[in-house]
Amino acid sequence: MPEALQINNLPTPKVEEWKFTNLPRALPANLVLADAPQEVVIHKTSGQIGKKPEEIVFTAGDNEHTQPHLKITIEENAELTVIERQSGEGAYWKNMISEITIGQNAKLHHIRINQDSDDAVQTNLVHITAARDAVYNGFSLNMGGKLTRHEIHAEIQGQGAEVSFNGVNLLSGSQHGDTTILIEHQAPNCVSNQFYRTLLNDKAHGVFQGKVHVHQIAQKTDGYQLSNALLLSPDAEMDTKPELEIYADDVKCSHGATTGQLDEEPLFYLRQRGLSEAQARFLLVQAFVDEVVDKVESESIQEEILEITNKWLETALKA
Amino acid sequence: MITIKDLKANVETDDAKDGETSIEILKGLSLDIPEGEVHAIMGPNGSGKSTLSYVLAGREDYEVTGGSVKLDGEDLLELDPEERAAAGLFLAFQYPVEIPGVNMSTFLKTSINAIRKQRGEDELDALALLKLMKAKCAELGIKDDMMKRAVNVGFSGGEKKRNEVLQMAMLEPKFCVLDETDSGLDIDALKVVADGVNALRDPKRSFLIITHYQRLLDYIKPDVVHILANGQIIKSGGPELALELEKKGYAEFVGEAA
Repeated sequence: MPEALQINNLPTPKVEEWKFTNLPRALPANLVLADAPQEVVIHKTSGQIGKKPEEIVFTAGDNEHTQPHLKITIEENAELTVIERQSGEGAYWKNMISEITIGQNAKLHHIRINQDSDDAVQTNLVHITAARDAVYNGFSLNMGGKLTRHEIHAEIQGQGAEVSFNGVNLLSGSQHGDTTILIEHQAPNCVSNQFYRTLLNDKAHGVFQGKVHVHQIAQKTDGYQLSNALLLSPDAEMDTKPELEIYADDVKCSHGATTGQLDEEPLFYLRQRGLSEAQARFLLVQAFVDEVVDKVESESIQEEILEITNKWLETALKA
Repeated sequence: MITIKDLKANVETDDAKDGETSIEILKGLSLDIPEGEVHAIMGPNGSGKSTLSYVLAGREDYEVTGGSVKLDGEDLLELDPEERAAAGLFLAFQYPVEIPGVNMSTFLKTSINAIRKQRGEDELDALALLKLMKAKCAELGIKDDMMKRAVNVGFSGGEKKRNEVLQMAMLEPKFCVLDETDSGLDIDALKVVADGVNALRDPKRSFLIITHYQRLLDYIKPDVVHILANGQIIKSGGPELALELEKKGYAEFVGEAA
């Protein structure tokens, strides 16, 4: 069970895991402190298959300090899609905890669409446990907030489980978006995937810290991690820290991280085929994003996400 | 059709000598390809073959320092790469670029309509495009499922080159430059690609075929063969020049010119 952040004991960049993200400096000055967490519970009992996605919205108003506590429990052989939407008005601090438990052979598709207000601060600590043959398929679209920290701690506890964390960060202005993931492989024959792509415009600052920790017992682990960031402006900044910590001797783990601009080769190729420079850029950047959105299983949700990302791209790439 | 006069071009370089940041590659190249003709340029490594194709297509890392290139009287050097494409220039790349996340049909649709739009023509609708695509794919022996794949991603060497010819067939350019189209192809793939190119030969379309080897010219018969060395055309002749070159090697010709 993760502990919520306390306002009188906030992590500063002196703490290693927070070195790229200065939370105390970003918090609104006139916060009205919440007295109690607001609990949202989603529970699928054994064998229940959710046909429709379950939608939850977390909002907040100016100067508010909210402490949402989302509990999702999927019992054995059950299946569900959860769409979590984040929005709000004005300057606020959403200090959220998500506690996700996936039982044996159960499956959760978790879509998170973060469209917090421009002055918002959101910290979201997510704790996930996956039992034998469980599947967690997460997708996160991060584009809101002045400062956001999406911190995931996943414990793979049963054999044959598979967890995926895919995400797109679209940051502009002086936005700061931090994704920090720790995956612990505590059982053999499990798979974990991390695939994040970040677009940074203006003076935005992106952070990706991903760590795969393979315990000694977790033989035949298949761990994959990739973070690609595209800088659309010379003032944008990306900090990436990929890590593997492996104690088992028969595993397949890889990580990759890139930060850069669009390659000239494909741009020239497209222009030789008649596309204007702006059109070629748009197509390439769109493809960069779409490849991650493609990991979302439901086509209707994919379409909704692409509509949002395309709108962002049109604004960001306007010359 | 295309007239190149005294073309001089530099390429930017990282390993600068004596403070120079660019090296002259084309040193006064002149070439005239009349409508409907196929010309071949052969030359040793480093003679400027690929530079010529990039300079014609307008790649930014090359700086033109002199001369002119005119396509049907229009000054190509004044145009952006996409404007040159709309004017009718097509470059079949030596190394077709992989574009992850963009599938072939989206790419072809965007490309054709971008060119049509620049030419002031109506855009093709999805159905018309699909029909065109199917017809051209069938002609070139390309399977329909290739249209769902990302552009050149995971394509074999043969598929990549066939894809270049497919694009050429769909865009119907006036002037095609084939940059070492034979590189990385086995004989069977070479024949397919050559057949595709031959099918596009037309009294109104000209070709410039850039190659190292005579082999490609067995399949695509040129009207004129030029030898390029040190950034200049040093000799021109009929198809027999290619055979002679194959027999004697470049050294003799390069020596002759020097």
